[in-house]
Amino acid sequence: MVIDDSSAMRLILGRIMRGLGFDVVEAPNGAEAIARLQSGAMPEIALVDWNMPVMDGLAFVNAVRKEEKWRQITLMMVTTESEQSQIVRALAAGAHEYVIKPFTPDAIADKLALLGVLAY
Amino acid sequence: MTYIPSADDLEVITREVWTSFLDGDPDGLVPGAPELGAERVTGCVHLSGAYIGSIMLQCSAPAARHAAAALFSMQPADVTQTEVVDALGELANMVGGNVKSMLPGPSALSLPAVVHGQLAVPGAQVVREVGLSWRGESLIVSLWQQAAAAA
Repeated sequence: MVIDDSSAMRLILGRIMRGLGFDVVEAPNGAEAIARLQSGAMPEIALVDWNMPVMDGLAFVNAVRKEEKWRQITLMMVTTESEQSQIVRALAAGAHEYVIKPFTPDAIADKLALLGVLAY
Repeated sequence: MTYIPSADDLEVITREVWTSFLDGDPDGLVPGAPELGAERVTGCVHLSGAYIGSIMLQCSAPAARHAAAALFSMQPADVTQTEVVDALGELANMVGGNVKSMLPGPSALSLPAVVHGQLAVPGAQVVREVGLSWRGESLIVSLWQQAAAAA
């Protein structure tokens, strides 16, 4: 699942993930992503932007981590928020990894491999 | 003493964003912006917190269209205004977020605002600015600071 309010960024991340063999669903903010989860989507991994309207990425991470049924979803922040304190907040909330924009496709693949959701 | 990113810092950050997402060519952006012209698109993010100000990305209309085309993998002629606004907003967000990491923190980054034309930031002044040329078109990246905070 790719969650980003920028359709350009969803397109770029979606292309990278499809290239790595994933099926991709998209959401433009955390609230729509939660709605997709509630309607039965169960992604292996969610790539989550931080700054989004309606529900931001940190609120999404908090919401997902509150639900036992979504515990298996791996959460990776993909964001411009690069302050150390913000990274710590996201990881403390339950995000597994953190990628700062701009990124390369290889950086995404490397992080996915580290997380064990991509086999090289 | 508070460190304020230099014009070179703005250029390096912008180059990294452009190289990563627009053309893959680190030499695609060159210093020195030709005249922006009246037709321009401006993307802006605001910072609030330890640093109060804005980061603004102004592009000539053709540069904005080409940037959107590159991000969306489209032909420039096929790009819509919606795609231009989305692209400039995300580019401003990426440049702004990385500039923010060099400023005093903690600060919050706003969602990007995009306008066709110039954007005024009441009470703020430009503290750093760099002009760049991309595919013969202009873009200007500027860091603003609220006057009261700058004093």
